[in-house]
Amino acid sequence: MSIKKIAPTLVAVAVATVLTACQAQETKTGSAASGKSMAAKTAQSGPPPLAPLGAPPIPPDNKQTPAKIELGKILFFDPRLGGDASTGCSTCHEPDQGWAWAEDFSRGYPGTVHWRNSQTIINSAYYARNFWAGSVPSLEKQAPSAAKGGVAGNGENDIMESRLALIPEYRKRFKEVFGTEWPIIGHAWKAIAAFERTLVQRDTPLDKYLLGDKSALTEQQVQGMALFNGKAGCIQCHNGELASDQDYYNIGVPPNTRWEEDGLAQVTFRFELYAKGMTEEGYRTTKADPGFYFRGKNKWDKGKFRTPSLRYTTFTAPYMHNGVFYTMEEVVDFYNRGGFDEDGRTTAFPENKSKLIKPLGLTDEEKENLVAFLEAFSGEEMLMEKPAMPEYAPLFTRAELEAAQEEK
Amino acid sequence: MVVRVSTGRALLAATLGVGMAVTAQAASYPDIGPLPQLKIDKAKAELGKRLFFDNRLSGDAAISCAECHVPEKAYGSKEALSPGYPGNGHFRNASSLVNTAHKNIWNWDGRIGTNLNDMTREMITEDYIMNMDMRIMQERLKQDPLYVKMFKDAGYGEPSNGSVRKAIPEYLKTLTSTGSPFDKGAMSASAKRGMKLFKGKAGCIQCHNGPLLSDLKPHNTGVPENFDVFLDPMNHQAFMAFTMFQGVPDYRNLKRDPGYFNVTLEKQDMGKFITPSLRELKYSAPYMHNGVIKTLSEVVEFYNNGGGKDSNKSKKLKSLGLSANEQKDLVAFLESLSGDPLTSPKYVWDQPYPAEYPVIENWTQVRN
Ligand code: HEC
Ligand code: HEC
Ligand code: HEC
Ligand code: HEC
Repeated sequence: MSIKKIAPTLVAVAVATVLTACQAQETKTGSAASGKSMAAKTAQSGPPPLAPLGAPPIPPDNKQTPAKIELGKILFFDPRLGGDASTGCSTCHEPDQGWAWAEDFSRGYPGTVHWRNSQTIINSAYYARNFWAGSVPSLEKQAPSAAKGGVAGNGENDIMESRLALIPEYRKRFKEVFGTEWPIIGHAWKAIAAFERTLVQRDTPLDKYLLGDKSALTEQQVQGMALFNGKAGCIQCHNGELASDQDYYNIGVPPNTRWEEDGLAQVTFRFELYAKGMTEEGYRTTKADPGFYFRGKNKWDKGKFRTPSLRYTTFTAPYMHNGVFYTMEEVVDFYNRGGFDEDGRTTAFPENKSKLIKPLGLTDEEKENLVAFLEAFSGEEMLMEKPAMPEYAPLFTRAELEAAQEEK
Repeated sequence: MVVRVSTGRALLAATLGVGMAVTAQAASYPDIGPLPQLKIDKAKAELGKRLFFDNRLSGDAAISCAECHVPEKAYGSKEALSPGYPGNGHFRNASSLVNTAHKNIWNWDGRIGTNLNDMTREMITEDYIMNMDMRIMQERLKQDPLYVKMFKDAGYGEPSNGSVRKAIPEYLKTLTSTGSPFDKGAMSASAKRGMKLFKGKAGCIQCHNGPLLSDLKPHNTGVPENFDVFLDPMNHQAFMAFTMFQGVPDYRNLKRDPGYFNVTLEKQDMGKFITPSLRELKYSAPYMHNGVIKTLSEVVEFYNNGGGKDSNKSKKLKSLGLSANEQKDLVAFLESLSGDPLTSPKYVWDQPYPAEYPVIENWTQVRN
């Protein structure tokens, strides 16, 4: 049971908006501090160059151990960490769909559809903040938000923790890893985060090339890289080891037309506005995902999203926060037009569109070279067998229950 | 509504000798009799009816209130233990909802003592019941043109979770007993003899009194545990989540339903449950908070033996020494408290629900 499920009145929403406005400053300083690349951009040196990917950061209070990683893996695949035991992490992050979901909007909890594209888990360990709009500060905080969200896992702590308590193998594994007599739900999120930190890819053609193996890229890809770093200007945002500056931009992605055609998607759209604390007027009039706006409620942040890594993207189509582009060719065409799709559509918040996005004047050959280079951000597909799910067993024997009855 | 018995008077009656108590009881307990009429707003109740039978009120849109509160079972559950939300079981029998609007305390353990608005919220949001984020529910309803119309016609404006919690209780008011031989004055001779025993020798009136045949107070009658609560992990996980939420100490090792103890966390309330109404029992078997007693003759036998085994059992319960015929008469009386089944379209929404949410046309132009 949780109070989140009781919808506040719209008056209460308005109050909530005032409260979250106070977070605006925090968000701003936060992003300035973490946005090293911002500082780099103004400095003469320019954006940090693409670089081979190092090991992911490991938080000191959640060290990696083999037993913890193994536990996290089982939990990641276990649908019992969700409301009706049908929808676990792997349900929307399928290993053979790029550890994501191969439709524009992610599938949702049964009876719902999500409103954003499912992100890949591969390399999610490197981000300082997770989700398309960076709304959570760590994988440890991301997992419960996914497991409990109404259109994601729709689970509650009390029922999920109780399920773990009734599965003997989990009791054993949690005790071994965390030393507690009974599984604690917060520890489940830690174990999942530890597992996710193993889902990294550091041996792509690009990594090999940057480490000195000049044969790792084709001639065409080398030309594409030059465009990426120069004429096409991708490096301004997709830079450094992760090919992401982890900052937030409105690059002109148009709203998904599914919101005009699909009743279920309309339900979720309004729910998200409501749940994320729009004002009454904002709730009535908004027709596109305001993204980063929800963090600080500043109107200049509408339509901004976190620059995603370009790594592993060969396996994660469709692209963008709302999955409007199904191929890399479409993405490159979109950038080449200065942030417009083939029908001339752009963001619903054009006033916030980044000045860095402008027509590029790429020739067909240049576009092909750029697409070829984007493939160098992905190595082999990372597949994984679903582990066996541990089974429930009764906690008490009939004899124990009879004895307790006698004692009443 | 229901006149509540003062505890002082009840205690006095209990401490008197059996013979004395009989006369005292007949005089001092609110008399049993017909239920008062409730005023019902038709449009609101009709809306509540459609909501009650609508699967879209649960998180995964798989079950409605009627999944557990089955019309043919006097709006209680079919099995001893109620089903749970998909992926879960349950640990109690789903209470009959007939006459629930006449109560002032709800659930077997009485944990809700405010109103049916709160009770409805609890059912919709509880994770092992309907597990619904009410904000999603509200947006689902707004996507259904018939609801938009019905909420408006009922005077609620646009669909909102607040008005769902008003409309369903309005519908629940329509679920009031009607046509029982007891209310119509058409009891058999055996039932009449049974009523006398009920008020006298059998002492049932001590707790089952007033028009509902319930004092709406907690008592421990020593009903044995239903071991299926613990032997089936689906049920046990719901029980564990529930007792965790209620703050029951050492809830993981509990091997019994603590009942009213959940509410007060006081030892003296262990194993107490709110006296249920005795109306519509014909439809609502099996009986008790956990459905462990299958038939009314077995219930009477249970009381004839002075109830079950529990160190905290009510002092009101003693072996009754009823003859076989007396027991039959008492059962006949209990049966005379059941009226017409509330299963016609007057009570049950029998029209289909749309299979999909229709799209709102011209979406970018209209206000959300
Ligand atoms: C119903 C589908 C669904 C389920 C279930 C689900 N996710 Fe997600 N996941 C998504 C979507 C959609 C996003 C992007 C959401 C957003 O940005 O608002 C996402 C984002 C993420 C991210 C962020 C990646 C990044 O680049 O920042 C991580 C990590 C993640 N999910 C892990 C999990 C874990 C762990 C679970 C299980 C506890 C889980 N997910 C369950 C759909 C789902
Ligand atoms: C102004 C910063 C910026 C520049 C410049 C930029 N991008 Fe992006 N890129 C982003 C942001 C922000 C997103 C996510 C936008 C969204 O979802 O609305 C994105 C998304 C993408 C995606 C989708 C990734 C996924 O997982 O869905 C690809 C591919 C991509 N960019 C490639 C490029 C290429 C190629 C260039 C150069 C032609 C480029 N970007 C230039 C910021 C930028
Ligand atoms: C998954 C099964 C299930 C569903 C679905 C369900 N209930 Fe219940 N309901 C129960 C159980 C079990 C109880 C008894 C709970 C207890 O005593 O702890 C109960 C108790 C009640 C009570 C208290 C009755 C009394 O007189 O004490 C009311 C009122 C009620 N439910 C109404 C509803 C409504 C309205 C809905 C739909 C919004 C609903 N229920 C959906 C299982 C269910
Ligand atoms: C001390 C108060 C008390 C007395 C006296 C009492 N009852 Fe009860 N009765 C209860 C309580 C409390 C319950 C619910 C117990 C539970 O579920 O664990 C109950 C349950 C019942 C039920 C089951 C109803 C249902 O919906 O499941 C029946 C039938 C019943 N009583 C009949 C009788 C009869 C007949 C007598 C007299 C022989 C009687 N009771 C005497 C308190 C009492």
